[in-house]
Amino acid sequence: MSYFFLKESDLKDFVRKLISSAPVIAPVARKNKFVFADLESPDELRLDYDITILPPKKAFFPPNQTLLSFKENKATSAIRPREQILFGVHTYDVKAIDMLDLLFAENNADNNYLANRKATTIVAMTPQAVSGRAFWESVGKTVQPNGHDALMTKIREGYVFEPRTPQGTRLTKSGIFSQASSGQLDEASKCQSEIAAKCPEKLSHSTREISDKMRASFNNEKIWHTASLDCFSCGTCNIVCPTCYCFDVQDQWNLDQVSGARYRTWDACLTEDFAKISLGPAGAENFREERAERFRHRMMRKATYLNSRLGGPACVGCGRCSEGCVPDIADPVKIINNVMES
Amino acid sequence: MSAVKKARVAFFDFTCCEGCQIELTNLGQDVFLGLLEHIEIVEFREAMSEQTKERIDIAFVEGSFSREADRARLEEIRARSNLVIAYGACAATGGINALKNHTTDYKKFVYSKDANMPHLDSHNALPVSAAIKVDFAVNGCPMDRNEFVYIVSHLLHGKTPVIPNHPVCVECKKRETVCRYHLGDHCMGVIARAGCNAPCPADGIPCEACRGFIDQPNEAALVKVLVEKAGFSNDRAKNKSRMFTANLRSDVK
Ligand code: SF4
Ligand code: SF4
Repeated sequence: MSYFFLKESDLKDFVRKLISSAPVIAPVARKNKFVFADLESPDELRLDYDITILPPKKAFFPPNQTLLSFKENKATSAIRPREQILFGVHTYDVKAIDMLDLLFAENNADNNYLANRKATTIVAMTPQAVSGRAFWESVGKTVQPNGHDALMTKIREGYVFEPRTPQGTRLTKSGIFSQASSGQLDEASKCQSEIAAKCPEKLSHSTREISDKMRASFNNEKIWHTASLDCFSCGTCNIVCPTCYCFDVQDQWNLDQVSGARYRTWDACLTEDFAKISLGPAGAENFREERAERFRHRMMRKATYLNSRLGGPACVGCGRCSEGCVPDIADPVKIINNVMES
Repeated sequence: MSAVKKARVAFFDFTCCEGCQIELTNLGQDVFLGLLEHIEIVEFREAMSEQTKERIDIAFVEGSFSREADRARLEEIRARSNLVIAYGACAATGGINALKNHTTDYKKFVYSKDANMPHLDSHNALPVSAAIKVDFAVNGCPMDRNEFVYIVSHLLHGKTPVIPNHPVCVECKKRETVCRYHLGDHCMGVIARAGCNAPCPADGIPCEACRGFIDQPNEAALVKVLVEKAGFSNDRAKNKSRMFTANLRSDVK
C-alpha cells in the first residue's frame, strides 16, 4: 500500500467529513485527563493526548453491554452493530485490541464482541505524548500492532497516513491527501523511534526471562504478601486495563416483571468476590480469598499465563494501572523488576 | 408469579430521618405505579395512615436500633414477616447516627437543657441486625432508588439480589470519572461498597462511603492514602471513616 500525507491545516476538514459519514470515537479532554468519546466537532479532538482513562476497547466492548432482551420465554438478541470509526488509537492500544480479537474469537465465538468489532474501522496513531507511567517501548517487543486499518504519524507539517486495509484506503477519500515523499516517511519513522524512547519506565528483561521468573515466584509468599499490603481490592488496575476481558453476566427484570434484559459488565479479578463460586446449598467457595493471591494472579495473567496463546505478554505497557492505583502498588514495571531481582 | 397474588409490603421506621421513605416517593409516578402492579403496600407512614398487624411478605425497616425499648417492636415485625430488609444506611449499618457512638458529651451539645429528657435515653446506634435477623439490605444514604427496584424485582421472583462487594472505584472507572485523588482531593470510594453507580465523584465530590464498607476493607491502607495522597493529618485520617461506617470499623466496641 502507498503512504499518504495530510497537511495539519487540512486535519479538521478531514475529521469533519469523517464525522458526517459515521460516528467517530476519538480522544477528548476530561478535566485533567482524556477519554475516548463520540466526537461532535473536530475542535474537541485531542490527538496530543498521552493516555485515556479507559482504553478504546470500550467502543466495541462497553463496560455495560446488553446481550439480549427477554419477554416471558422468548429471548431477542441485542447484537446491533453500528458502523463507526475509532480514531487516534495509540499503537500500544492496538496491540491490546489484537489480543481481544483473538481471545473473543477463540472457542465459543463471542458475537456480541465480534459484530461490534467488525463494524469498527480503526485509525491508529503514533503517540505524540507519553504518559507519566508508560513503558510500552520495552514490553512485548516482538509483537507488532496489527488490527488497525490505518496508521497516522504526526510530523512537523502534518500527518503521514498509512492505510493497511481497503477501509483505511477509503478514508483518504474524505480528505485532501497527497502522496507522502520519502523525506516525510523518514521523518515519520524518526518520530516513531523518538517518542518510544521517551517512555519514562522500562522493563529490563526479555519477555521469556520475565515469564520464567514470574512463574517461579508463584510460591514466594513474601513477595506477594509485601507487594499487596496496601491493596484495596478495588479492581481499578483491571478495569482500566486494555487487555483485561473478564465480565460478569446478570439479568434484570423490567417493571412489568415479565420482560427484562441480560447484560454483562466488566469484572475485575482483584475484587474479593471475583473467584467466589456457588456450591449450591453447601454455600460458596472462594478460590482466591486472599488479597495477595488476587494481586499475584493479575501479574501472572499479564506476564506469563497467556504468553503462548498471544505470542507475547498480555500487557502492552500503557501504564494505566500504575497511574490509576491510589496506593501506587499496581505498576507492572516495579512489580516485575522486583521479582527479577529477588 | 405476582400477576396472581401481590406481595404484601410494609415500611417501618426507627431512628432515622425517614429520608429513605421520602426517596421512595421520588421514584416517579411511572415506576411507583408500575411497582404497585406487583406489590401491595399495607403500611407506609410517609404516605398512608393505615396500619396492620397481619402477615407481611417483605418488611422494609428503616432507621437504626438505638433504644432498648424498640427491640420488642422489631421482634414483632420479624415474627410476622417472611423477609426483613434493612432499608437505608441507618438500618443497614447504623448509618450516620453511629457517629455519636464514640462520644459521650453529644447530648449536652445537641440538646443543651433538654439533654435529660427520657426519650433521648439511647444506647449506641446499631444496625437493625443487632436486634433481629435481617435478610437483605438496601444500602445508601439515602438508599438508591434503582437498586431498590432491582432488589424488589429479584425478591418477587424468588431470586437473591446481587449486591456488589467491590469498591466504588469500579463504578467511577467504568464511567471514566476523574479520580478525586488525581485532583488533589480525598475519597472513601476505595473501601466503600459500590452499587450506587458512583454519582458523588461524578458530581465533583468525594465518596463518603454511605453504603458501608466492602466486606474486607483495607482500613490501614485507607489511613495511609488519606495522609500520603490527600494530605490529611493522622488524626483526621483515622477518624474519617466514622461518618457512615463507625459500626464497621475494626475498632468498634
Ligand atoms: S488498583 Fe491498586 S489498590 Fe486497586 S486492586 Fe489494583 S493493586 Fe489493589
Ligand atoms: S497491566 Fe497495566 S500497563 Fe499492562 S496493559 Fe494492563 S493497564 Fe496497561
